[in-house]
Amino acid sequence: MNPVNILIMGNNRLASSLSECWQLNNYHVVHHLENMEKVNFVIETENLDKETKQMQLGDIEKSISKDTPILTTTLGWSATEVASWLMYPERVIGFAAFDNVKDAPGIEAVLPLQGKESYLLYVTEQFKQIGKEVIEVDEDEPGLVYPRILSMIVNEAAYALMEQTASARDIDRAMKLGTNYPAGPLEWAAEIGIDNVYAVLQGLYQHLGEERYRPASLIKKLVYANWIGHATKKDFYYFEKRKNKEFTKM
Amino acid sequence: MLNTVTKSAVIGSGTMGVGIAQVLIHGGIPTVLYDLSEEQARKAKETLIKRFSRLVEKGKMSEVEKDKALGRLQVTTDIRQVYRVGVIIEAVPENIEMKQSIFKELEENCPDDTLFATNTSSLSVTEIAGVLKRPSRLAGLHFFNPAPLMPLVEIIKGTDTSKETIHLLQQFVTQIGKTAVICQDTPGFIVNRIARPFYNEALRIEKDNIASVEKIDRILKIIGGFKMGPFELQDLIGIDVNFATTKTVHNSFYGESRFRPQYQQERMVQAKRLGRKTGGGFYRYESS
Repeated sequence: MNPVNILIMGNNRLASSLSECWQLNNYHVVHHLENMEKVNFVIETENLDKETKQMQLGDIEKSISKDTPILTTTLGWSATEVASWLMYPERVIGFAAFDNVKDAPGIEAVLPLQGKESYLLYVTEQFKQIGKEVIEVDEDEPGLVYPRILSMIVNEAAYALMEQTASARDIDRAMKLGTNYPAGPLEWAAEIGIDNVYAVLQGLYQHLGEERYRPASLIKKLVYANWIGHATKKDFYYFEKRKNKEFTKM
Repeated sequence: MLNTVTKSAVIGSGTMGVGIAQVLIHGGIPTVLYDLSEEQARKAKETLIKRFSRLVEKGKMSEVEKDKALGRLQVTTDIRQVYRVGVIIEAVPENIEMKQSIFKELEENCPDDTLFATNTSSLSVTEIAGVLKRPSRLAGLHFFNPAPLMPLVEIIKGTDTSKETIHLLQQFVTQIGKTAVICQDTPGFIVNRIARPFYNEALRIEKDNIASVEKIDRILKIIGGFKMGPFELQDLIGIDVNFATTKTVHNSFYGESRFRPQYQQERMVQAKRLGRKTGGGFYRYESS
């Protein structure tokens, strides 16, 4: 057994996917605030609810030493904002990954303005041990690079579907065959978590205050209905089908 | 098969016109390729002969198949030659008046059941069809460049395009070995619209110094699984071409901020750093 202990917090697929990554490599993973003095670093994964994230981080901080690194998802907030909620913000590292992180060769990470490089170096080394590269992004904004770009593509596809520009199947097929995307945006969203896409868009929309990032109302509704893809087996295709009628404008 | 198109025509022998003609004759459909200019038409024919010969050299086609395909090609500068075919695909430059006047002339001279298709990528199909007495017979048929390699064709339904026209064009696209998707007449259709953020948001991220050009490309390839990064791909497509598409989609959506272009792209165009074709764009390319 690897002597490094990891605390992974969050009630979502990202947390379970991450736990699997470490457990497969014989790391000891805990999910509750117990035996905290033995934890070497923390991964916190709440993406949607700010209050939940603040409370979770507050509870974590009360239970660990002040120099334990905290890796926290920053799909919906900047790492700097998340760090500002903590008493010891210098150990905070923001990271961005989706629910399929288990199969991804790496994650993106960023230092908040308050952060210290040494914490990032430590975490980078740990990820290297499980064969995952940590790519450090230069400036801290919600959603970093890949989640931000993919979420904007999914948003556009969602607008097109809402407006009945084309069917979900044709939208996905067109993007795979017309521009060589590895997956269609609507099926891709179901794979990475439609809730995560919403977190990135809503985070950018609030943080930057620009209309450009406004999430399509369809995405918002799918999140409310918990039709967020993957295990829920409900997604954009389910939405389209449940209307139970032919593509009306055809 | 019912409704099989037995003869087609392509109007305009630029890059797209020649590419589409290649697809058609390769797909077994006798095709008239029309161009106003004698010179252009002659060049188009030479290009097609060369391309098919290369396919033979590469072992992708036999000499007999090549001769058969080229035997289906008729190149002409006489517009009357296109009047008696099943489908006419217009692939002239993106000029609304030019396209409208071509279809008007065709409508006056073709039988009522000839299908009209425009290969526009940025104009409104509805506006092009607006000059026709029977706009129901016209749809968009958007091939991607290079047409012989790209498997997708977007079929665009204008406001007055009939279901029957769409249905027949769907069969036609299948007949020539491509995959059809159906799309309403909206700016950028499917692909050019939904692909906008791949370039546009990458440019914004670079502008805000979140990551460099190289890092953004690397992240999208390694973590995102894209085959090319947004900057490499802009260099390949041509930064001027990409910028023009973004501006068109942005304007056509009345300035919707999701499509707002980024100034770095315009600076690259102004500096004539257009990508691979000028030896440099977001990356430098050694000229050989």
